[in-house]
Amino acid sequence: MMPTDSRYEEIYVAKNKAELLQGTLDMLILKALSLGELHGYGIIQRIRQLSDEMLNVEQGSLYPALYRIEQKGWVSARWDVHDTGREAKFYKLTRAGRKQLETEEAGWDRLVLAIAKVRQAT
Amino acid sequence: MKWVNIIRDRIRALRQRETVINDIDREMRLHLELQVEANIKAGMSPQEAREKAMRSFGNLNRAVDAAYDVKGGGLFETISQDIRYGVRMLAKHKAFTSVAVVTLALGIGANTAIFSVVNELLLRPLPYRNAEQIVMLWEVTPEGRHQNTTSRANFRAWRAQNTSFQNLAAFTDQRFNMTGAGEPEELSVQQATPEIFNVLGVDPLLGRTFRPEDGEPRNTDVAVLSYGLWQRRFGGQANIVGQQLTLNGTKFTVIGVMPPSFQFHIKSRSGTGRPAELWSILPMPVGPGANERGRFLSVVGRLKDSISANQAAAELRTIEARLSDEAPEYNKNFSAEVLPLRDQFFGNLRRPLWLMLGAVGFVLLIACANVANLLLSLATSREKEIAVRTALGARRFRIVRQLLTESLLLALLGSAMGLGFAYLGIKALVLISPRDLVSLQGVGLNLMVLAWTLGVSLLTGIIFGLAPALHVSRLNLNDSLKEGGKSESAQAGGSRRLRSALVVSEIALAVVLLASAGLLIRSFIRLQQVDRGFETDNLLTMVVRVPDSRYREDAQFVNFFGQVLERTRHLPSVRSAGMVNFLPLYGGLGSATGFKIVGRPEPAPGQGPSTDVRVADAGYFQTMGIPLLRGRNFSDSEQREPKHVILINEALARKHFPDEDPIGQRLDVEMFDTPQPAEIIGVVGNVRYDSLIDESPPAVYFPHPDLTYPFMTLVIRTDGEPTAIAPAVQREVRALDPNQPVSDVRTMNQVMADWVSRSRFNTLLLGLFAGLATLLSAVGIFGVMNYSVALRTREIGLRLAIGAQPRQVLLLVLRQGLLLTVAGLVLGLAAAFALTRLLSGLLFGVEAVDVTTFTSISLLLVVVSLLACYLPARRAMRIDPLRALRYE
Repeated sequence: MMPTDSRYEEIYVAKNKAELLQGTLDMLILKALSLGELHGYGIIQRIRQLSDEMLNVEQGSLYPALYRIEQKGWVSARWDVHDTGREAKFYKLTRAGRKQLETEEAGWDRLVLAIAKVRQAT
Repeated sequence: MKWVNIIRDRIRALRQRETVINDIDREMRLHLELQVEANIKAGMSPQEAREKAMRSFGNLNRAVDAAYDVKGGGLFETISQDIRYGVRMLAKHKAFTSVAVVTLALGIGANTAIFSVVNELLLRPLPYRNAEQIVMLWEVTPEGRHQNTTSRANFRAWRAQNTSFQNLAAFTDQRFNMTGAGEPEELSVQQATPEIFNVLGVDPLLGRTFRPEDGEPRNTDVAVLSYGLWQRRFGGQANIVGQQLTLNGTKFTVIGVMPPSFQFHIKSRSGTGRPAELWSILPMPVGPGANERGRFLSVVGRLKDSISANQAAAELRTIEARLSDEAPEYNKNFSAEVLPLRDQFFGNLRRPLWLMLGAVGFVLLIACANVANLLLSLATSREKEIAVRTALGARRFRIVRQLLTESLLLALLGSAMGLGFAYLGIKALVLISPRDLVSLQGVGLNLMVLAWTLGVSLLTGIIFGLAPALHVSRLNLNDSLKEGGKSESAQAGGSRRLRSALVVSEIALAVVLLASAGLLIRSFIRLQQVDRGFETDNLLTMVVRVPDSRYREDAQFVNFFGQVLERTRHLPSVRSAGMVNFLPLYGGLGSATGFKIVGRPEPAPGQGPSTDVRVADAGYFQTMGIPLLRGRNFSDSEQREPKHVILINEALARKHFPDEDPIGQRLDVEMFDTPQPAEIIGVVGNVRYDSLIDESPPAVYFPHPDLTYPFMTLVIRTDGEPTAIAPAVQREVRALDPNQPVSDVRTMNQVMADWVSRSRFNTLLLGLFAGLATLLSAVGIFGVMNYSVALRTREIGLRLAIGAQPRQVLLLVLRQGLLLTVAGLVLGLAAAFALTRLLSGLLFGVEAVDVTTFTSISLLLVVVSLLACYLPARRAMRIDPLRALRYE
């Protein structure tokens, strides 16, 4: 199921790959929503765009993660009419979500820095 | 707020499953459609676009399910699935289910019953306001006797000098004759200083309780009624407050009625042995003539907020030391102690109760082991089913959860039935509980007990369910599917080891219980065999109490009792009759009184010898069968007027006259205002007055004219059934004085039975639990052996086919069972060696590690387990080799 039509090697981010990645997925969703209200499909598209088409979140993983985040109170959801005229569920970052995003980004930066240091050591 | 959202979602998911799933579905479909449109825009054909979108989405249904799981519906859904499946499973295996449920119900029922008693006596708050602040204050005598009553003078000093207590109250239990309305009746009365109700923190139902001014010398003629007396004697009249009643010839005014729940009875130190029915003011006279120094007061106090019982005790000891310096002739070497009220009431029950709870805990563990075993054998036969489910993709966690759900269901069924057992058990406990075991009337299935039962059953469900569940979930798929779970696979071997371990632990637990019960039974038998110093059969006893106000002269009392005895002796079937002030083993206060031996050097204050003092007539010794060892009994004239003579018991003679003849020696016993030496005219045998356990202390007997008591206990030896004579004796007493009540009509055997009732109660209960434990482990052994024979059918058939004798097969099985038994026995005996020490306070005449007991219970257990193995062994012996070999 590896997509072949991409110029880059895509990184699949899926819930059950690893515990570590779940936090990452949460962060990506929060980041995507930090730029504005979106529905599920929109979130995936925005993550694709922002990552230069490198990150493709599997839909089956997105929604459980999204609901979990909603339960944690980081996003709020409402049904509204989509541009296409159909009803869609829109998600919006809450204040707690914004805070959480900052924490996770800081954590991620530290992790990247740490890994970089380890790699430079070789 | 996270958990609030989760709970909200879960509840919504559960209640509106369709809506929630629809929501999710709708959202995902939109997603899919947007993806398809995007794909078409990117140049794919509609067909291709849809396929690609679907593929990238994964399985739509699974995605919806996963999302629904997050929303919480999944958990509830699978739990309800598990439960439905579990119920079907239990219904299918009816025999298994009923055995398991009954086993658990026995364990849980016993637990609940005992816990309800523990809860009532040791955990539930006492029915007084801030009861943890209430303590009892006692003196400790120079001989080290604890919980000794104190004197008016010392009580006043305590009250004046302490800084630890909000309030102190002194009280003493008395018996007053109530006359006037209706039959004359002897009432149990608590005379107390006015603060008592304040200290206890209870309010009256009607009227008021005592006020400080009620304690003033002229105001003390007020009385507070118990609810029981109010109902019984006054028919619950609403206008009772203000009415008058006559006690010991004096008029009292009723000022209040206490609520039905109120009671304050220090059984071990009560002179009446009965809870009070009426409260009156304890006179606290001062000055010459007032009995300032006699020790007869119990004291209760309420601690200040930040003061602990230990702090208060330290202060009280300081005060007591000061009193000892100030008045050494009364207080030298006396100390003081403070006892929290709960310890006072139930301190001596704490250990037996926790022990009983431990014992039923063991029974429950055995029940758990048994059910675990049953589950294992059931699970082994379900191997195939579980293997199929695993092959179809069920995760291990899911299977364990399924099996645990089943065991929890079993546990809940067991506890439901157990509650029924507990209900009956509590009724039985209340019935057989000793009369002095406080009141068990309040014990029942309350919320706290139900919570305990629920907790216990959930815990047991996990305990007995976990091992089999984990074991089964580790199954090797291939083996199970191939073998069909009937023959002895590698797994079955592992399961057999687990099952053997379970049976071994069951037996070990049963051994500990049997050992404990055996020790108690032996103690009980020893207790019955103690030489108490008198004969108990065909002996009737009753108390006659003449109010102080009736007669002025001692001679009138002496005369009255002399006439009662004279008339009693002439009744038909009365062989002999006598009297004593306090019966043996009656309870109440056996006070030690100091004495001097005339002609010997004066001992230092507080250092002199002491003796038990009793009043009796010559007939008492004959009637009780107490032997006269030396000298002579009281003569007729000595029983008519004071001649200053006494009898002593053997213990006193041995202790104080080891090398000389006590007859003719004179003792000055400190019972009188002025020294009054009395001549020893005889030595009688020892009698166990205070307890069957302790050796008899020295005792002195005065004839009635020398030490006149207003009440005496009649002892009457009869030819036949002693109770038959009681009405006739009562008639004779009435004939002498129509206002004279008779109380406490009991046979001596009843007095004895009451005294040993607690010991009997403990023995009976522990014996019952040990029996239950043995029965359950026998069932356990039977189950394991039976199953093992079933598994080995082929092997045994083969053995028989190649020439083994049936007898050898029988031995094979018995040996296996015996091996398990011996292993359990060794473990259990080791544990018993360590644990029976906890019983030491309850034992009498046996060591905590008693070879006879341990040997006999070991034998008993071996016999029981061999019996349990015999049925499976016989089955093995009768296996038909041909059929066994074909059987697959």
